[in-house]
Amino acid sequence: MSIIQLQQVRKQYSGTYVLQGIDLSFDKGQIVGYIGPNGAGKSTTIKILTGIISDFEGNAMVLGLDVRKDPMIIKQQIGYIPENAALYDVLTPVEYLDFVGKLYQMDAVNTRKKALDLLRLFDLADKHDMRMNSFSKGMRQKVLLISGLIHNPEIIFLDEPLSGLDANAVILVKEILSQLKHSGKTIFYSSHIMDVVEKISDRIIIINKGAVIADGTFDELKKAGAEGSLENIFTALTGDQQHLSTAGEFVDIMKNFSNG
Amino acid sequence: MGKWLLKLVQLFNPVFRRQGIDVDRLYTIVELKLLMDTRRVYMSWKQNQQKDNKNHLTTILILYGLFGVFMGVAVYSFPNLVTAMILFHSYVIFMMAMTLITDFSSVLLDTTDNQILLPRPVNSKTLFMARLIHVLLYLLQFSVAICLVPVIAIFVKYGALVGLGMIITSQLTVLLAVFITYLLYLLVLRFSSEQKIKEIVTYFQIGMTLFFTVGYQLIPRMIDLEGLSASFTLKWYSFLIPPVWMAMALESLYDYNFDLAHLTMLFLAVFVPLFLYWVLNKFLAPLFSKQLANLNNDSRVNKKQPVGIKSRKGFSGRLASLCCVTPVEKGAFELTWKMTSRDKAFRLQFYPALGYIPIFLFIIIFNGGRNMAEQFALLPDSNKFLWMIYIPLFAVASSLTIVTFNENFQASWIYHSMPVKRPGELLSGNLKALIAKYFLPVYLAFFGISLFVWGPAIIDDFVLGLFNSLISLLVLTQFTEHFLPFSRQPNVKQQSGKFLKIILQMLIIGVLVVIHYFLLDRVYIMYGVALLSLLGLWLMVKNLQAISWNKISV
Repeated sequence: MSIIQLQQVRKQYSGTYVLQGIDLSFDKGQIVGYIGPNGAGKSTTIKILTGIISDFEGNAMVLGLDVRKDPMIIKQQIGYIPENAALYDVLTPVEYLDFVGKLYQMDAVNTRKKALDLLRLFDLADKHDMRMNSFSKGMRQKVLLISGLIHNPEIIFLDEPLSGLDANAVILVKEILSQLKHSGKTIFYSSHIMDVVEKISDRIIIINKGAVIADGTFDELKKAGAEGSLENIFTALTGDQQHLSTAGEFVDIMKNFSNG
Repeated sequence: MGKWLLKLVQLFNPVFRRQGIDVDRLYTIVELKLLMDTRRVYMSWKQNQQKDNKNHLTTILILYGLFGVFMGVAVYSFPNLVTAMILFHSYVIFMMAMTLITDFSSVLLDTTDNQILLPRPVNSKTLFMARLIHVLLYLLQFSVAICLVPVIAIFVKYGALVGLGMIITSQLTVLLAVFITYLLYLLVLRFSSEQKIKEIVTYFQIGMTLFFTVGYQLIPRMIDLEGLSASFTLKWYSFLIPPVWMAMALESLYDYNFDLAHLTMLFLAVFVPLFLYWVLNKFLAPLFSKQLANLNNDSRVNKKQPVGIKSRKGFSGRLASLCCVTPVEKGAFELTWKMTSRDKAFRLQFYPALGYIPIFLFIIIFNGGRNMAEQFALLPDSNKFLWMIYIPLFAVASSLTIVTFNENFQASWIYHSMPVKRPGELLSGNLKALIAKYFLPVYLAFFGISLFVWGPAIIDDFVLGLFNSLISLLVLTQFTEHFLPFSRQPNVKQQSGKFLKIILQMLIIGVLVVIHYFLLDRVYIMYGVALLSLLGLWLMVKNLQAISWNKISV
């Protein structure tokens, strides 16, 4: 049985459809890369699957449950790391993680120990008692990652999880994701950093203008689209070749007005 | 205070459980929100005085409580209950609406909340109730701080019945304030963007800061009420003013006068707030959250500005060409002009300083006697226009320091990476912008007023005063550390030398006023000195422009 299933999911905002009938289904223990240009509907899809948006058309099942009927059971078993580092930054990381733990009804002592250990692994041990409004983007992102994983979820939804992280942390997070997959977790990874998606995903889904335009392993996509990197396939499939002429024009204008 | 109030809320636990609310998670969320309330930076208090680890909320509540003491004294000393109550309820509605607009906007308009809480296993009933309880506790804390002392005063003077009635009417008034706030936000959200809201909130915050700082000076002086006739006569429009309803309702409780007017007022006092609350719940709140959701999702609604080369220069551009010589100076001029209009922190710190000007004047000119008309009649014979000449300088001088700070202080790398030979030109451009934008308009306005009061005899004084003021501004820039505009991190404790600067400022202004005073009757010498002053000014500008990189502080 597939762990995530979308059937003809459509979603409109004031008249325009941002999702125009998405069909998806996949099994446990995979990393699924979800890519598309800005405004393609990536975040909306994730919000539907995590039960944040409930007014949509079509069917969405997570863990075999309808997201509209049993959102509480689903939310207890999934982790969501949103893209724009939304957290209560007047709190300290420990306070924030305590709070999150309580919402998942975890044991308080256990949460605290887990939180401290995980913060230590992310090199935030010395900052566990500092308010996060002084934190850099990368540090917040680390806390956000922990807050989405601390309750040991079955499915993990990540929206641009690497933004702001330093090189070491990027390597670490990629390795964590791959080990999570081997232990049977399912990971839904949305991003536009293509070379990361290319390397870690078992399956890649490309959406454009609210519809799936490619779905398969990296090798399968190569056959359907273009040779080379995921980036090449992506530009071939989304039909966006305009960047060549735009770049040319850019350089021209730049030269024309120099030292004017 | 929030925690004690939360204990009271727990009495309702069985009711909550019956409604399918998850009580544990409910209190987890409410407690967290109360904790965060104590850490938010409150706008009505000077931001740089808010240390990181203090409970800001308690500070602010004590501040409100102190104002409550003033109000209590006023309410007690008013001979007439109705007038006292009109004053009190107007005060409550004003304070609550201002507080809600300035400080609670961050809570009402917070959309990160959804992103954090919605993915967690919390059902919507619990979330709704948590938000409701949080808002109610917030309102309750503030209304207790505002109303406590006045209510006690009324209890003592007019008895328990009126006191109890007042507790109810004050809460009804709070309800009105909530309604007004919601309505205001909705209007703004309906007709403009989130950016605009923040803009408007900033102006309310400036007003609030001014109210608090000035209030401490003025209100205690105004409590002396002997000369005030405190009688109240009912007019037709009294029926339109909510504080009058409340006051009349309380009066009927005091003297058991239930004639038609009082009964109508009593009815209005009770039912209008309740009705508006119902409207709020039924129509406004859903509309509000819908608008807010739209705000969040609508990145694409942004109307595209027509792209293209702007042919005409803006106002600041033309002004820059007029006042400045080199391109670097013009650049700095325009940067300062535009940034000071748009940077919230700058406006929050500087505009209240401008707001002091009329209040200063009021105190200086009408100081002493009670009779304002008499004072005003004597004005043309006095030398008080000297104040009019030098107050603008005093008010605008603070912008010199404020302008060096900015949230995005790191962006000042741009100055250093560019081939700017003489950074003094950045300083002079900056200074010219501040003078043109803030000093000159204020000075001209004062000139106009003075011309009206004192007549053309003061023209020469204002000419000399202008050059003197400009020189003082240059001296202040010259003899303090040179920071480039918008290049320093705000709220760090490196504001040493601030005191020195104020002393220096006072000294310069003092000397100028003294010189000016001795020249008052010697018009020719005055023009001579003015000429000298102008020459000095020119030299000093040159000097400022020539400042080199090694004199710039980082």
